[in-house]
Amino acid sequence: MIRKSNQRIIGAGIAALMAGAALTGCSSAAEDAGNAAPVTSSDVELIQGVRSLSNAYHANWVDGGDLFGEFADLEVITITDESDSQRQLSQVRALGASGKVFALNVDPNTSSDTEAIVNAVTDAGGFVVTQWNKPDDLFPWDVSDNWVAHISFDGRTSGQEVSEALFDEIGGEGNIIALQGILDNVPAKQRFEGLQNALADAPGITLLEDQTANYSRSEALTVTQTLLAKHGGQIDGIWAANDEMALGAIEALRAAGLEGQIPVVGFDAVPEALEAIEDPASGYIATVSTDPWWQGGAGLAIAYQAATGEIDVAKLSHEQRAFYGSQTVVTVKNVADYLQAPPLDKLVPDFENPWLRSQGAIK
Amino acid sequence: MTHTAAPPTAPRFAAAWKRRLLDGGPLVALVALILIFAVGNPAFLSPGNMGILLSQLAIPLVIATGLTFVILLGGIDLSIEGVMATSSLVFVLTAANDRNDISLGVGAVVLGILAGTAMGTANGVLNVRFGIPSFMVTLGMGAIGIGIATVLFGGRSPRLLDPALKSIGTGNTFGIANIFLIAVIVLAIGYLIQRFTKIGRYGYVIGGDEGIAKLSGVKVSRYKIAAFAIGGTTAGIAGVLVGAQLGVGSPTISQGFLFTSITAVVLGGTLLTGGRGGVIRSLVGVAIIIVLGNGLILMGVDSYVQIAVQGLVIIAAVIATGWRLRTRVRVIK
Repeated sequence: MIRKSNQRIIGAGIAALMAGAALTGCSSAAEDAGNAAPVTSSDVELIQGVRSLSNAYHANWVDGGDLFGEFADLEVITITDESDSQRQLSQVRALGASGKVFALNVDPNTSSDTEAIVNAVTDAGGFVVTQWNKPDDLFPWDVSDNWVAHISFDGRTSGQEVSEALFDEIGGEGNIIALQGILDNVPAKQRFEGLQNALADAPGITLLEDQTANYSRSEALTVTQTLLAKHGGQIDGIWAANDEMALGAIEALRAAGLEGQIPVVGFDAVPEALEAIEDPASGYIATVSTDPWWQGGAGLAIAYQAATGEIDVAKLSHEQRAFYGSQTVVTVKNVADYLQAPPLDKLVPDFENPWLRSQGAIK
Repeated sequence: MTHTAAPPTAPRFAAAWKRRLLDGGPLVALVALILIFAVGNPAFLSPGNMGILLSQLAIPLVIATGLTFVILLGGIDLSIEGVMATSSLVFVLTAANDRNDISLGVGAVVLGILAGTAMGTANGVLNVRFGIPSFMVTLGMGAIGIGIATVLFGGRSPRLLDPALKSIGTGNTFGIANIFLIAVIVLAIGYLIQRFTKIGRYGYVIGGDEGIAKLSGVKVSRYKIAAFAIGGTTAGIAGVLVGAQLGVGSPTISQGFLFTSITAVVLGGTLLTGGRGGVIRSLVGVAIIIVLGNGLILMGVDSYVQIAVQGLVIIAAVIATGWRLRTRVRVIK
């Protein structure tokens, strides 16, 4: 019997009220967790922690978690932090209050929040999988068995692959410009490093200039306009560190009457980018997907398996506890697979073995 | 005794000139920047780049025009980004779009702007009737705006499909960007309101000293609400323009515009404490920021250094133009 899973969003106010209760309740919960007594699956609470449902990426992530909820026949609760680290932390602290063991799959707001989050989960006796953000020198096995695993994505690999797709499109010879993301953002740095590695292997391609547009579509429009004025007709391709900026660059090209004549690549596979890729006249040729449905579902699967005792966290290898997930370059050939949520049966192998897509250890 | 023969008007005359020169400080800074960039890269003055500068100037100029009215009162409007986000979505969702079958044409533009006016008026009413400081009311209203926009957005940006409305954002008339022409009209209306109406004139009085204005029988509340309504309206216009320019409505579409426009108004010489300034000054302030952003890229300044250089130039410009006023800028303790 499959029960339709629901998602519930805990408001900040309720979370803040519950935070106080969590602080008083956590000491006894921690003692229980010390024994790591196996619990029956129906006792586990499944929780997704994402930034906001206002972006398609996290909405897809939550949908993927709901697919896992369907698979495990459990309800999935979603908490959103709306980019507020304090709010995220107080919500996580509130989770232990019900006394149930919980499995949390969370995208920490910033790297510096990760340690506080995993400590709060450890105190409450829950199990957590973190994604994307963590301090470089902090690993799950340094903290506790309650921090089951950390998943990230290597921007260097995807950066190189999507750059090569761009170079192929312009025939291996020509000049490109690059729009960088927020300059001290780790994925932004890795993606740009991937571009530089691809450039090293492509002697025919010259990077005329790189500028930051801070991941913003309107800034990318402005910067691309300025670069078009500066370099005149020399630009053969545009590389952007996310889809928002790539879409801004396409608007700049459209305003200059160059739409479709200069190929553009981005990252993240947001719906608009996928739709643009479907239409060859747009000039948008490739983006990169981390598969948010997998991130939501498989991340939750790892935390759930730890919570039920199906896996013994202490026996997991370092590579299982901190690994890179796989990414795919999305072009006109495979774009149809990324436009909507996959059917549940396609993700079942990943729910049964969440490490199926591991690309190696994070070092 | 012949020494005393010097005309007593001379120091006053000199002081007046000094004041005029300092008042024109932002303009001098703008001209200096233009000269430096023109020498640094001839492409700066090319017709193509001039056109780009005008189109980049447009949206911040629209916002800054309305914001000037609020800052002149000694208030602040931090709701701009939220209002713009809501307006962009109201506009796109009521114009021909890929989400629903509504297609109101110009009606969508009006609704988008009215959404801004409504939120601006609400800012004013809450500020005046409930005595909540403007930064707090508008911060809250900004969050409400982002919230409404997020609900309307529903996880995916609706796209604008009406080609006529799209051309407002990306098209040209006689080689000049349409959005710039609209911005000039907004600025002209703003100037006329400020120069020739009670809303404008009493704005200076209230900003100068609200207590005295009240004692003189000025209906302070009414004019304050009007100023916030103007600020909301221009943010609404900006939301519609940015939606038409990028062809989508989105809660994140307005990111960065708040900082740019407040900086522009202050750089132009409108005091944060109110009572002194004007929309034409804000035009100069916006131009400085846009020219700086464009010029630094044309000069090939590294991305990593650019932000710091921008900050330095802004601080230097504020010191140079505001030195004389330093005791009057009482917010800086």
